[in-house]
Amino acid sequence: MNAVLVTIPLALLLLALAVGAFFWAVDHDQFDDMETPGLLPLDEGPAANHPDDDEPIA
Amino acid sequence: MMRATELCWHCGERLPATIIRATIAGESRSLCCHGCRAAAEWIEQLGLTDYYRLRTQPAQKADIDRTSHLAWQRDEIARHFLRDLGDGRRETMLLIEGVRCSGCVWLIERALLALPGVASVQVNALARRARVTWLEERVGLSSILDRLARTGYRAQPLDARALDEVRRRESRAALKRLVVAGFGAMQAMMFAAALYLRDAHATDATTDALFRWLGFIVATPVVLYSARPFFAGALRSLRARQLGIDVPVATAIALIYGASLVEAWRGGGHVYFDSVCMFVFFLLTGRYLEMRARHHAGDLIDALARLTPPFADRRREDHALERIGIHELRAGDRVHVGEGGLIPADGLLLSDACRVDEALVSGESAPIARRCGEPLIAGSVLIDGPVDMRVERVGAGTVVAGIVSMVERAQSERPQLARAGERATARFVVRVMSLTAVTALGWSVIDPSRAFTAALAVLVVSCPCAFALAVPAAITRALAVLARLGVLVVKPDAIAALAGASDVVFDKTGTLTEPTLALADVQTSERISRDTALRLAAALARESHHPVARAIAAACSDAGLPAATGVISQAGLGVRGIVQGRELRLGASRFALPVRESWNAEGVVLADERGALATFRLSEQLRPGARETIDALRAQGLQLHIASGDSPAKVADVAARLGITSWRARLSPADKLNDLRLMRARGARVLAVGDGINDAPILAGADVAVALASGADIAQASSDIVLASERLGALVAAQRIARETLAVIHQNQRWALLYNLVAVPLAALGFVPPWLAALGMSFSSLCVIGNALRIGRERSSMMRASRPLRSAAGAT
Repeated sequence: MNAVLVTIPLALLLLALAVGAFFWAVDHDQFDDMETPGLLPLDEGPAANHPDDDEPIA
Repeated sequence: MMRATELCWHCGERLPATIIRATIAGESRSLCCHGCRAAAEWIEQLGLTDYYRLRTQPAQKADIDRTSHLAWQRDEIARHFLRDLGDGRRETMLLIEGVRCSGCVWLIERALLALPGVASVQVNALARRARVTWLEERVGLSSILDRLARTGYRAQPLDARALDEVRRRESRAALKRLVVAGFGAMQAMMFAAALYLRDAHATDATTDALFRWLGFIVATPVVLYSARPFFAGALRSLRARQLGIDVPVATAIALIYGASLVEAWRGGGHVYFDSVCMFVFFLLTGRYLEMRARHHAGDLIDALARLTPPFADRRREDHALERIGIHELRAGDRVHVGEGGLIPADGLLLSDACRVDEALVSGESAPIARRCGEPLIAGSVLIDGPVDMRVERVGAGTVVAGIVSMVERAQSERPQLARAGERATARFVVRVMSLTAVTALGWSVIDPSRAFTAALAVLVVSCPCAFALAVPAAITRALAVLARLGVLVVKPDAIAALAGASDVVFDKTGTLTEPTLALADVQTSERISRDTALRLAAALARESHHPVARAIAAACSDAGLPAATGVISQAGLGVRGIVQGRELRLGASRFALPVRESWNAEGVVLADERGALATFRLSEQLRPGARETIDALRAQGLQLHIASGDSPAKVADVAARLGITSWRARLSPADKLNDLRLMRARGARVLAVGDGINDAPILAGADVAVALASGADIAQASSDIVLASERLGALVAAQRIARETLAVIHQNQRWALLYNLVAVPLAALGFVPPWLAALGMSFSSLCVIGNALRIGRERSSMMRASRPLRSAAGAT
């Protein structure tokens, strides 16, 4: 049973960290718009507009 | 993606006879107008041609009209719309027209960030809003608006005190609460499982106590933080001396949590920290989905912002024009309105004549001619101009503002029919509570040591499955199914009202019919064939922007049309020009026919110098699927009505085509609302479908209201359901799903009742050990969720090949 005494507090700590990280993300605008950021990976940026690797998806 | 030969590369509209060509990203593209070309070339210049690859919808037709945005620099105006963030940064919320898909978002963000001085841009495609911050000394609001206009989007700053901040805070808090409850439920379940599954003979009191207190640790934030809205809501309704749904919910949460805490303290019976967490989690899930739907639908503030223009051009004493903010306008001011502009306030026309489109305000489909001294209504569109007008009423005194306040009143007196379901669950909970009390009392007489355990078992065995899940699981599932059909349910109570509707009241213009006209009939003189007449008329008509002309031009393919030269259009009368060497006139009979002659004068006349050649009769086009929808609704046993603000002849025509016998025409918004009250007095439960501003009051007052996404925002804001797809057919499916949902809710409640009738007496008598109570609760919950998942199953596999949605199944 001693293992439980280590793993459970560890689990609770991880839980607290996860919730904390999530709160941080929410407070930093990460969840305000869940529809539009889906396109961000497709954005090559204005500088990196390579004509040869044209189709990132499709 | 699209057939580039027929459609405009930028906006996807059909190409006119004179195509404009431009080289975009090394390829020659066809464009419909100079506005679109300018936008496309500008986008290329910014290096953002990827937009055309990323977008999923064609852009809005770009307007050539490049009004100066310099007026936004004026301090009086800026104060209303800008927020000073300190250190020279300013922020505003822009309402952007023409945001169609994520491609637009990408484009807007790139285009604005490329502007030196713009610090950040956040665009929300669904809300059509952008939050922009910039450095005051490097760039001004006018340049930002200018850049958007060049890219093809018309933007308008929203009032700085807009509800957006409130809304953002609300959605963030709800998300945090939901996630805390979710994590809590998972952990509490794990710790509870350790208690359920332990070896009964090798009981170790210390280990048990450890797991009980662990359950307490994870359940505490769930109850104290996540469940706070329920406690707050319960308090609010108790203060108002009502028994809202939050009261039993909050009581149950508090009782289960408190009782479990006492049990944990005593180290005796069973704790139910897992049940209380799950209970809160399920309830919050339902509320979160509901809130998101509500936020997407927009609100009254947005709607008002779009109804009236932000500026007016006031004529000063010396006749020069000055651009002022709409709130600076006073009664008695003389205002100039350009062609295609929005009328800024209610007033009287000072110029000779003009035509205005009041379709959104009054429901009248045809443009209305106004003469000098006649009234103009704020929010209507000036079709030909420019004109001057004298302002009579501004702001809250205008007709439109009156309609808005009517909406607010109607909403407040909306029948609380939909709350019946909630009252049923509330009654059920009250019964469970009293049963719990009776159990506790009974046992305290027989064996006080078992009273507490037995009472708690009763509460747990019955509560979570029966009442927490029966309704929310079905409603949540129905919301998801409907959303896939393009039906956005803003207020979940609407599902019950939709299922129970007995009468449907349709608006005509824009709801049953398309906003544009269509050619219905051509009568020709013996001098000309039908085909030639149509081609000649179309050649003239395509040079005009009048809706009637557009309808005639649309009836004929553009290919090989003769060219019209010397075309002159006379406002309110028609167009004339030379086609194939003949001078032709197209328009009202008094314009087209120089001398009075006997000719069927109704409709649009095409004539040459020798007299009339043909008459074109135009009629409104039924929305695609309108017929099928009407037939299907009738087959479902609903009474159908049309209530329109349009002229009786037009309403009668549409009603006859759809086979609707009950119709009323030329109704003001107040008349519509009156009709509605009469219907309800007869005992009808009314479903209202509309799209215009004039429908807003009836939508707000109906038992359940459906608005079309293409219509006025204020109509959407006062509705429960928005048809995003604009297919009326979705309404039929929605109704069927609503009935299905109601049936499932009843089944769930009956099942819960049956289960409780068996389980509760056993629990009350003390026969149910904790593990069995938990098992029973889980089994019963799974039954309810499984049943809810049946909603819309046959429908969705039939309507569209989409993936089955089973997200909720794994939750318990």
